Amino acid sequence: MKKLTIVIILWLCLPLSGITGEKSGDHSTYVQHVEQAFILMFQGDNLKAISEFEAALAIEPDHPEILHYLGMAYAEETFWNKAVESCQRSLVLMPENIEALYSLGVVYFRLDQWADAAGTLQRVIGLSPQHARGYEMLGKSLVKLRRYAEAVPILKKALTLTPRAAGLYHELGTAHLNLKAYPEAIENFKQAIEYGPTGYAEPHYGLGTAYFRLGDREKSRTEMQIYQRLQKQFAEYERLTRLTRAEPNNLEAWTELATLLMNQKNFAKAVQVFQRCIELAPNNANFYHGLSRAFMNLNYPKHASEAARKAVQLMPNQAILYNTLGSTYAMQGESQKAISAFQKAVELDSEEPYYHLNLSRLYQGMGNQKLAQEHYRVYEYLLSKQK
Amino acid sequence: MNIFCPNRSKGGVTPSLQIQGLLLLLLSIGMSFGASAQDTENLILISAGTFTMGSDTRATDEKPMHKVYLNAYYISKYEVTNAEYYEFWEQQLKTASSGQTPQHTPENFTHLPQIGDWPARAKQFPNHPVVGVSWHDANAYATWKGMRLPTEAEWEKAARGYTNRTWPWGNALEPYANTAAKDDGYENRLAPVGSFPKGKSYYGVMDMAGNVWEWTADWYSDVYYWYSSQAATKRPKQNPTGPTVGSWRVIRGGSWMDAIARCSTTFRFYLYPNLKTSFVGFRLAKTVF
Repeated sequence: MKKLTIVIILWLCLPLSGITGEKSGDHSTYVQHVEQAFILMFQGDNLKAISEFEAALAIEPDHPEILHYLGMAYAEETFWNKAVESCQRSLVLMPENIEALYSLGVVYFRLDQWADAAGTLQRVIGLSPQHARGYEMLGKSLVKLRRYAEAVPILKKALTLTPRAAGLYHELGTAHLNLKAYPEAIENFKQAIEYGPTGYAEPHYGLGTAYFRLGDREKSRTEMQIYQRLQKQFAEYERLTRLTRAEPNNLEAWTELATLLMNQKNFAKAVQVFQRCIELAPNNANFYHGLSRAFMNLNYPKHASEAARKAVQLMPNQAILYNTLGSTYAMQGESQKAISAFQKAVELDSEEPYYHLNLSRLYQGMGNQKLAQEHYRVYEYLLSKQK
Repeated sequence: MNIFCPNRSKGGVTPSLQIQGLLLLLLSIGMSFGASAQDTENLILISAGTFTMGSDTRATDEKPMHKVYLNAYYISKYEVTNAEYYEFWEQQLKTASSGQTPQHTPENFTHLPQIGDWPARAKQFPNHPVVGVSWHDANAYATWKGMRLPTEAEWEKAARGYTNRTWPWGNALEPYANTAAKDDGYENRLAPVGSFPKGKSYYGVMDMAGNVWEWTADWYSDVYYWYSSQAATKRPKQNPTGPTVGSWRVIRGGSWMDAIARCSTTFRFYLYPNLKTSFVGFRLAKTVF
């Protein structure tokens, strides 16, 4: 009987070994697809990454991590239902995977399934009590569900983990507004404006509403006007962002976006956009000039200098480029280099008053009062001529 | 293990210290696993002290810049190589049941002949960093060596030094690392460890930028620095070890397939600990008692 059992087991094992042998070759293909998917994801090409992940999972379907990455890639491309499916499959295999649960919660939120989102995100913070993004999304879901009283402590907890998060202050303001706690709401909206990016419109609307309900019509009107103005700028920003995403080689759109961001004083984003412009048109001095100015505003004088030097190399007869280069040197305390650059600017365009003003200030700082006064007089004279 | 300490003077040792040294040596022989002379030379002492971690101007998860105090520790000068990992793997092979693949076998990369399959690549590229190892594999190797993986803070201090360098070698953009750039001499492939001597960190640690991402001991959280810095408002956070739970482990340093920006000393990234990829390896650390 024992021998028979062994024979049966061996017989059963035969086809299995065959499968294992085949799987080894398939596994190589699986690895290749996964690796390729990662590279594509790093490069931001989520659509191709999705194909690679799917090809990998067609060979070896039970990898919860890869299923989650697939879900994330789907979510990036706003294929929400596919993202839900992938995350759910991942969670069947690894039920307490905090990040897959979080991704699922976010996707439910995007699908306006706020009750599902709240339930899923409750699990996230249950498993990971310091999960700031979990608290944030849960708070937002509760606000959407109009469960304002529950949202307040959740959002406050999120703020202890990520202080200065403008979006959280805005949500908290919304919750307080709906709970008729107007002074708290006003405080929250003000903090959202303080910590938020330039042009953050929504808190002004909240602030306007809170003032209105408190009977302060004047302040309410002012805030609503700011809101409307910022909304217009935001709409333009959205349009250009969508356009550059759809047409990544559209240099005109990138240029407009860079200009808008500089006007909005969003210098960090402007740097990225100018860098993209430079990728598309590496010999255009204006983009290096813009990049330099953005870096200057971010207080990165070395980077600003590097960009300005490049701009000057590309267009050596433009006075304004030397003026910018001089300013970057001045920021770094390299006075002699700054003077040379400003002098070159004056040489190329002696009618521009501000180049003289820069020279005057620089000489003043160096203690050379005579030259400082001389250039200041020229500055005043040219300015009066312009007027 | 007798650990090489670059800052320690060789001459003028007092007799009592000599006795202590002898005792330590005897103890270390008892505790070691046949460490070679090369092992001892490949560890660098990072002295105790405070350093600046994170960045206020880069990615959100690097914010805020904050002070961290670390006790003295050792970190390996190089990433663990194929040849080094092979010893560990061979040991497992001896104890594995017949026909069984050892538990901590690196992944094969048949489609990338410049990296190759295991164990052939251990012979073909002995000085390349080992890749295709999961966090669990790396951790098991470290334990086998009587060491551990560096914490994220330890990794950053070893890469960044005291002067907040953007890259291990300094703040200027130089081709001193194996990245995706075409001018580094190792396009689309790994470099033997230590191939970029100009890219060494303030402490002399090699390849902290590029070549392979490196597993660290910590779980990843995008807001951990906020937590860490809040604790640091009155005094620097001491020896942080990351969040207590998570899904992803932190990887650091960028790799042969990354742009130089991702290879900075502060850039944080994360990966599921089970994954074995061609771009993640590791180095070792050890606490100084």
